Amino acid sequence: MSLAIETTNLTRRFGTLTAVAGLNLSVRSGEIFGFLGPNGAGKTTTIRMLCGLLLPSEGTARVAGLDVRRDAEAIKRRVGYMSQRFSLYGDLTAEENLDFFAGVYRLSGPERRGRVSQTLERVGLADRRRELTEHLSGGLKQRLALGCALVHSPSILFLDEPTAGADPPSRQRIWDLLYEAAAEGRTILVTTHYVEEAERCQTIGFMHRGRFIGLGSPEQCKAEMGEAILEVDALPVMQAAAVARRLDGVTGVSIYGHTLRVFAKTTTHLRHHLQEALVAQGVAVKSIRAVAPTLEDVFMSLTRGAQDDNGRG
Amino acid sequence: MLAVVGHVARKETRQILRDRRSLLLILVMPIVLTFLFGKALETGELRQIPSVILNQDGSPESNVIVTAFSTYDEVQLQGEVATLQEAQERLAQGKIKAAIVIPRGFMRQIEAGEEAQLQLLLDGTDNNSAPIVEGVARRVIQRYNTERAIKGLWARGMRPDRGRRLIQPVFVQTEIRYNPGLQYLSYVMPGVIGLTLQLLTVMLMAVTIPRERERGTLDQLMATPITRTELILGKLLPYFGISLLNVATILFVADRWFNVPVVERLALLLTLCALFVLSSLATGLLISTVSRSQFQAVQIAVFYILPVFMLSGAYAPIEAIPDYIRPISSLFPLMYFSRAVRAVTLRGAGLPLVWKDLVILGGFVLILLYWAVLSFRKRVA
Repeated sequence: MSLAIETTNLTRRFGTLTAVAGLNLSVRSGEIFGFLGPNGAGKTTTIRMLCGLLLPSEGTARVAGLDVRRDAEAIKRRVGYMSQRFSLYGDLTAEENLDFFAGVYRLSGPERRGRVSQTLERVGLADRRRELTEHLSGGLKQRLALGCALVHSPSILFLDEPTAGADPPSRQRIWDLLYEAAAEGRTILVTTHYVEEAERCQTIGFMHRGRFIGLGSPEQCKAEMGEAILEVDALPVMQAAAVARRLDGVTGVSIYGHTLRVFAKTTTHLRHHLQEALVAQGVAVKSIRAVAPTLEDVFMSLTRGAQDDNGRG
Repeated sequence: MLAVVGHVARKETRQILRDRRSLLLILVMPIVLTFLFGKALETGELRQIPSVILNQDGSPESNVIVTAFSTYDEVQLQGEVATLQEAQERLAQGKIKAAIVIPRGFMRQIEAGEEAQLQLLLDGTDNNSAPIVEGVARRVIQRYNTERAIKGLWARGMRPDRGRRLIQPVFVQTEIRYNPGLQYLSYVMPGVIGLTLQLLTVMLMAVTIPRERERGTLDQLMATPITRTELILGKLLPYFGISLLNVATILFVADRWFNVPVVERLALLLTLCALFVLSSLATGLLISTVSRSQFQAVQIAVFYILPVFMLSGAYAPIEAIPDYIRPISSLFPLMYFSRAVRAVTLRGAGLPLVWKDLVILGGFVLILLYWAVLSFRKRVA
């Protein structure tokens, strides 16, 4: 199977800070690859290296079969990039922005005009093509930015938080566009903070401090999570959480409304201990049951694990 | 490549045209500046230096001296004062630049054949005024002496014309070419034109790339296969167009209100202006490529323009600058521009006399543009 993106020991340092620490990444052609991780994990730095905006300090990276050090400009012709921050010209109209980027990507004449109006239709901005970009809503700006990244028909799309700050319907529109692009055979590398968006990716990579701490399909990630979870329905919930946290074997507790999710390496005996401890503290327990992890659980568990590792190291 | 340059130029033009307030400033400022600078320097020769007379003698002869001073345009007699102390006070307060003192006994000494004195109290802090008043005093006294001598000789039987020749056997005959009125304005106007063009072009151009950097659009642009040359040339073109418009208005103002003969050598002047403006824009672009923020770009631009003001010979002759500083002056395109425009407007010089400056300006354009392209980095190392 051909790889759209392949990195070996990709590293980027800024002074004493190592933003990306020996990342090995393989993205298959045509797949949607999700980059997850807290702020400062190195997602943006990785994307910027892959787009040819930033030179790696160490390691190699190939994008569309081309080396990022040697062939950055050739890579740029084949990829589309949408940066985290809105970066189109606010004082140009939607159509002018698209036309400008199409021109800069060297599309000429009728082909350019065709692609521009096609893209306007595609991202749903055809009727607002003559509005100044700065007057568009956040969601529309994001769709236009995606359009600008798509206008030259790239084989790979790098999207750095394309839905940041967008409301759910806008996010849905953008994901529809991403699926459409993927269906056309484009490879998509997308970073996100939203766990439910990660569920939509074929492969996800959890980044933490410049390296992957989890990698695989959403199902794999859930299956391979090294912890089990008990869902506890108890009142008062804050007191229950405090009790659970003090218990041996508990690695973490998250509160969701009226229920707790209690993480532990194993729950074989824990369930019984937890029940006793809660009752002893006067907490009213409605139910305790073992549940399957969600991707968010995986995310929490991995981040916690990595922080513990760092704490020890 | 040309197509991409065109796309960048079109984008820049749209942005310039949409920023109405800046556009107005860009178009009006050069006219206002040329007018203000020109008017401020029009009376570059010092006149009407405020002075007082302390006539302690109060004699007919001292009155002749007072009258003689009042005929000179350079000094403005603000009445008489009664005491030396009063004269000194007004000098100390900066209300006057000079006090002309005719001491008691002035006439008696002259009549008795003793040495009489005219005293000057000058404010040396203003090193322009002091020598001018001194010069006026010398001329007043020389004329007074001559007239008295002629009268004396006449009394002894010598005809006044012969007496004058005896006292003043030699005269200086001067013929001034090219700027017969010896007007400072005619000398300085090419410098004013150059400075105005320079100020505007460097500032405008210097902020363009940092502005894109600050707005985040540079990042998006860098992710495209645009080349550095395409970006630099694309940004240059629209601003070159605007600058040519400014050249036209400035030359019009100079011709209409400041007697700069523009029409006679229009083609040559336009070529000089166009090349100079290009070199200025290229300087701005170079500043633009090395600046991280608009603020920094303006800072660097100011640090560039200030020495240009002082050292390029725009206001004062380049010969007044010491030899060891002059190599710095030769780094500024404005020096060649002022020199060439001066030659054209004051001496009516044609291409044969200014082609060297044209070539030098062209060289600046190429080197600065190339430098700007090289110093622009598409990728952060």
